[in-house]
Amino acid sequence: MTPRIPAPRLAALLLVTLLFPIGCTSETASVPAEKKAEALRVAVIPKGTTHEFWKSIHAGAIQAERELEGIEIVWQGPQREDDRAQQLALVENFTATGIDAIVLAPLDDRALVAPCQQAMGMGIPVVVIDSGLQGEMGKDFAAYVATDNYRGGQLAGENLGRILEGRGKVLLLRYDEGSASTEQREEGFVEAIRKFPGITLIDPERYAGATRDSAQREAENLLESGSYDGIFCPNESSTFGMLLALRAREMASKVRFVGFDASPGLLDALRVGQIDGLVVQNPMKMGYEGTKTAVAALRMQPFEPSVDTGVAFVTADNINDPELQPFVAPPLSEYLDE
Amino acid sequence: MSPPSAPEGEALLSMRGVHKAFGATRALVGADLDLARGEVLALIGENGAGKSTLMKVLAGALLPDGGSMTLEGRPYRPAGPLEARRAGVAMIYQELNIAPHLTVAENILLGTEPHTAGWLHRRAPRERVVAALAHLKRPDIYPDAPAGSLPPAARQLVEIARALVQDARVIVMDEPTSSLGAADIEHLFTVIEGLCAAGIGVVYISHFLEEVLRVADRYAVLRDGALVETGAVAGVTVDHLVTTMMGRRLDEMFPRVPRERGDPLLELDGLGGEPLPSGVDLTVHRGEIVGIAGLVGSGRTELLRTIFGLDPVRSGRVRVGGCAILRPTPRELLRRGVGLASEDRKEEGLALSRSIAENTTLSRLDGLTSRGLIHRGAERTAVRRWVERLAVRCEGPDQPVESLSGGNQQKVALARLLHHDVDLLLLDEPTRGIDVGSKAEIYRLIGALAAGEGEQPPKGVVVVSSSNPELLGVCDRIGVMHRGLLGPLRPAEEWSEHALTVAAVGGKE
Amino acid sequence: MSGTSEPQRTPGALARQLRGALAPFIGMIVVGAVFAAFAPENLGPKTWRLMLVQTVPVGLAAAGMTYVIISAGIDLSVGSVIALASVTGALTLHGGHGGEAAVLAALLTGATCGLYNGLLINVLRLPPFIATLGTMGFYRGMAKWLSGRAAVRPDDLDGLDLWLRPYPELSGAPAFLGLPIGVWVLLGVTGAAALVLRRSVFGRYTLAIGSNEATARLCGIRIGRTKLGIYTLAGALAGLAGLMTMVRLTEGDPTSALGLELDVIAAVVIGGASLSGGQGSVLGAFMGALLMTFLRNRCTAMGLPNYVQEIIVGHIIIGAVAVDQLRLRRRGS
Repeated sequence: MTPRIPAPRLAALLLVTLLFPIGCTSETASVPAEKKAEALRVAVIPKGTTHEFWKSIHAGAIQAERELEGIEIVWQGPQREDDRAQQLALVENFTATGIDAIVLAPLDDRALVAPCQQAMGMGIPVVVIDSGLQGEMGKDFAAYVATDNYRGGQLAGENLGRILEGRGKVLLLRYDEGSASTEQREEGFVEAIRKFPGITLIDPERYAGATRDSAQREAENLLESGSYDGIFCPNESSTFGMLLALRAREMASKVRFVGFDASPGLLDALRVGQIDGLVVQNPMKMGYEGTKTAVAALRMQPFEPSVDTGVAFVTADNINDPELQPFVAPPLSEYLDE
Repeated sequence: MSPPSAPEGEALLSMRGVHKAFGATRALVGADLDLARGEVLALIGENGAGKSTLMKVLAGALLPDGGSMTLEGRPYRPAGPLEARRAGVAMIYQELNIAPHLTVAENILLGTEPHTAGWLHRRAPRERVVAALAHLKRPDIYPDAPAGSLPPAARQLVEIARALVQDARVIVMDEPTSSLGAADIEHLFTVIEGLCAAGIGVVYISHFLEEVLRVADRYAVLRDGALVETGAVAGVTVDHLVTTMMGRRLDEMFPRVPRERGDPLLELDGLGGEPLPSGVDLTVHRGEIVGIAGLVGSGRTELLRTIFGLDPVRSGRVRVGGCAILRPTPRELLRRGVGLASEDRKEEGLALSRSIAENTTLSRLDGLTSRGLIHRGAERTAVRRWVERLAVRCEGPDQPVESLSGGNQQKVALARLLHHDVDLLLLDEPTRGIDVGSKAEIYRLIGALAAGEGEQPPKGVVVVSSSNPELLGVCDRIGVMHRGLLGPLRPAEEWSEHALTVAAVGGKE
Repeated sequence: MSGTSEPQRTPGALARQLRGALAPFIGMIVVGAVFAAFAPENLGPKTWRLMLVQTVPVGLAAAGMTYVIISAGIDLSVGSVIALASVTGALTLHGGHGGEAAVLAALLTGATCGLYNGLLINVLRLPPFIATLGTMGFYRGMAKWLSGRAAVRPDDLDGLDLWLRPYPELSGAPAFLGLPIGVWVLLGVTGAAALVLRRSVFGRYTLAIGSNEATARLCGIRIGRTKLGIYTLAGALAGLAGLMTMVRLTEGDPTSALGLELDVIAAVVIGGASLSGGQGSVLGAFMGALLMTFLRNRCTAMGLPNYVQEIIVGHIIIGAVAVDQLRLRRRGS
C-alpha cells in the first residue's frame, strides 16, 4: 500500500476536468467560433441572470449584436446572484481576458468603481446600465444608460395616490440596502405620495432582499403585523413576493397594489386586478442602447453619454395599447433561444 | 483464601485495601496488589471480577473510594491519567490507542514532544524514538511510517514504545494478545522480557491462562472485587487457576421445560469470517437451545454476525431450513425467519430514543399499514400483546425505550423478534447488564419459546453468553469457542462450569 | 489472524510531506493544462497575478479552516465572520482611526468570533456543526446591526485600498516583485500556517486530536485548550479575509461573503483534507482556493455560462472526497 499519497485523487481530478469542459464546450463555444477571429467582443454583465428583467436586457444586447456588424456579445452574470465580490471579479476577469468593451449593471455604486477605472485605464470602454456608479463620467466610465428611476418612483406615487383617491395608509416595502436604482425609486415614490395630505405613509424600513423568496417572507411578516390600503414595491422580485403574500392571505385585489417592472406573472396579476398598476421600464432598450453606446465608444463614433430609456405606468385598462408593447411584451423570443 | 505473598524483588508498586463502588454495585472491596521491579504479574479473574476497575484506579482513570497506593516508596494518588503517566504508570489498552494519521515517531512522542517556544525539536527526540523502537526488536517499524498503515501487533508495540519514551516504571497490558497471531504473541513475550530486564514492572491481564503461565513470574487472582490468591507461577496448573477464579457460586435455578427436538433450522458448514470465526460447523434444530461459551473476543459475536450477514462470509456455507444462502444479508435472514438480538442494545440493538411500539414493529410493519401509512392504533394493539406476554414493565407502548431498565429493554429486543415471528433466535449476551431477577425471567422466556406454547410452534435458539452457569442451566447443547474455532457440541449434562472455563482458555482436560 | 507483517517500506518524512503538498499542485497543473488547451488566450503572468488577488479572501479563510477540518471540526460561520470583520474594519476607518487600527479591528473581530465558537464547542459541548450554524446567523446579524443595514463607506481607506490592486503599476500601488501587498499577506499567512501545522506543538496536537481524540486525551493533550486555539486562529484568519474583502469592495458590506463558507470548505477539501479529521494541508487548501479562482477565470475567458463552472467544481469536490473514501476503505481492509 502506498500510504497517504493521493495519487488517485489526481486521476479523479484529471478525469472530471477532462470530461466536463469537453462536454460543455462543444455546445457553447462552437457558436461564436467563426466570428471570433475579427469580431469585437462586448461583455454584458447583469446583476443576476434569473430575473425576467435581465433576460430583456440580454435580448436587447442581442438585438444590437444582430444590427451592428462585427460584434459578439458575451453574457455573464455573477455566479451567486447579487454577489458584489463576484461581479467585481467578473469585471476584472473580462478585463484580463482582453475583452473589447464592457456593459455593466453594477451591483454596488462604489465597490465596482475600481475595476471600471482599471478597464477604462486599459482602453476598454465601460457603459454603465440600469444602476448608477459613483465616479466621473468619461473617466471612470464612458456612458450611463438607465431608466430615470426617481421619475419611475414618482410615477408610482402619483398613480397610487390617485387610485386611493388621496386617502388611506400606504405601505412601502423597500428592496435592499446599497442598491442605488431602487433607492431612487423609493425616494421618488416617497416624494410623490407625501403630496397627498390624506395618505399616511408607513415605511417600516423593511427590506425585501434579493430574491422572490426573501421578499415573500418579508411581505408575509408585514401583512401579519398591520393593515394597509395601498402598497408599493420597487422592483420585480419584491412585487412578486408581495403578490404571493397577498394571495396567501386572500387579500389580493382587496388592497390597492402598485409594483415596479413587468414579468409574465405580474402582468397576469395586473389583468385579473390583483395588481392595480405597474411602473414599467424598457430593459430591452437598455440592453440595446447600452451595447450600441459601448460599440460607438469603441469605434470612436459620437454617442450620447447619458441615455434615459423611459418609464410608463401600465394598468389593466391600457395594457394592450400598442405604444406600451415594448414595455410589457418585449419580443424576447426573437432573440433568446428559451 | 491465601494471604498475599510479597514479591521477592525490590518493591515497585503496592495497592492496599482499594475500594470502589458504582452506585449500588461494589466493584472493588479492599483489593490488594504488589508489584516488584522487573517482574511480570499476571492479573486474572472472571469477567466482572474487578480487574479493569483496579487497573483504572492504578492508571488514574478512576478515583478510588478508599485504600492507599505507593509507587517506588512514595505515596501515589493520581488525580487523572496525565498525572499517572507522569508518575510512570502506563496503560496499554485493549482498544489500541494510536492516531492513525500521525507517523510512528509522532505517535511515540505524542503529548511529550520536546519543544522551544512551541516549535518542535527535530533531531534530539528522534534518537529517543529510535532507542525506544530498538527495545521492540522490530527493525521493520520505521519511525516515519504512518501509524495507520501498521498491522495491529505493530501498533501495540508503538504504544509500548510510547510508554518507554515517557519513562514508564509500571506498564499495564490489558488483554494484549487478544487480537494477535501466534508469531506476534511470541514476539510480544520477547519484548516483555526485555522490559523486565530494564527494571520495568509489568501487570499482564489475560484470560489465556496458558499464556499467563508462560510469561508471568507471579499471578494474582481477583474475585468479586478482592484479591483471593497470589503466588509464584512456577508449579501452578491451569486447572488450579480456574478453580480459584470461579470460587463457589450461588446456584441459580433454571426451570426445565420438556422439549422435543424437531427439524434442523440452521446448518453451518465450515463457516468462516473476516478474520473470525474460522471454519465453524453447527446445526441448530427446532425446539432446542444451543449455547455458545467462550471468552470475549473468541469469535462468538462474530459467529452470530456472520450468520446474520452483518459481517462478510469468507468461507463455508449457511443453510436455513435446508436452503443454502449464498450471501447472507439481515433482510434475507429475517425473511427466512432468523432474527438476531445484538449484545450491544444501546448502540446497535435498539433505537433508544424511540418508543417501545416503534422498536417492536421496526422489522415487520406489514399488516399494520394501509396505503403506505402506519396504522398507529393497530400497531399499539399488536405491541400491547407482546408487552403483556413478555411482562415488559412500562407505562405503555409509547414509552421511549431509553427510559426502561436493562431487562425490560432486552424484552423489547426479544419482542421485535417475536413480532417478526422468527423461527430461530440468535441471542448475543441476552442477560448482559441485567439484574438477577430479570435474568431469570429472560431465561424462563427463552425456555418457553423453545418448547412452544399454545398455537406457537417450538422455536430454535442460539445463546451466546459469558455466564457459564446460565448456559448450563438453560441450554440443551453447548459448544465452546476458542480463537475463532467452535469446539464439539455436547449435551449440557456432560459439561461443568469448570470444563467450560478450561475449554474457553484453550486448556485440555 | 495477522502474522508478522511485511516490512513497511516508506519514504522519508520530508519526501512524503512534499508529495502530499504537491498533489493539489499537480492537480492544478493538469486542470490548467486542460483549460489552457481550450482557452489559451491571456494566460500570462498578469492573469495569474489577477487570480492570486482574487484568491486572497478565500485563501486566507481556507488556511484557518484547514486547522478546523484537520481537528475533525467544521466552521460554518466564516462567511459571516468575514462580513462582520469587513464592517468593523470599515467602521474603524470611518471613525478616522487609520489603516493599522482597521487591520487590528478586523483581526480582533475575527479572533473574538472564533473564540466564541470554540467556547460554545468546549463549554456547552455543542457539535461544531451546530455551534457554528448558530453563530453564522449571529455574526451576520451583528454585521447588519453594526453597519446600520447598509454598506459602511469610509471616506479614506488610508492606503488599504492599494493592497489588492490587480494592476499595481496602473495605479501606482505599492508592490513587491510585481505582486501587491495583499497577495504577500496571503502567501505569508499560508507559509506560516503550513509551518506551524507541521513543525509546532500546536500543529501536532491539532493533527492528533483530529486523528484520534481519545488517544490525544490519553496522552495528556489539553483538548479543550487546543480546540479554543484552533477556532480562534480560524476566526482571526477569517477576520483578515474580511479586511481583504473590505479592501476589495472599498466598503464594509454586511451582505458580502454570503455562502462563502462553502467555497472555503471546498478549497480545503480539494486540497486533500478529510472531513473526518486527521489529515489535510494548508498548501493544499491554498491550491484548492486558487483552483476555484482559476476555473472561474477560465470560464469567463471561454465565455462559458456559470452553470458549467458550478458543475465542474461540484465534480472536483465529489471526486476528491470519493478518492479519500476509497483510500480509507482500502486501508481498513
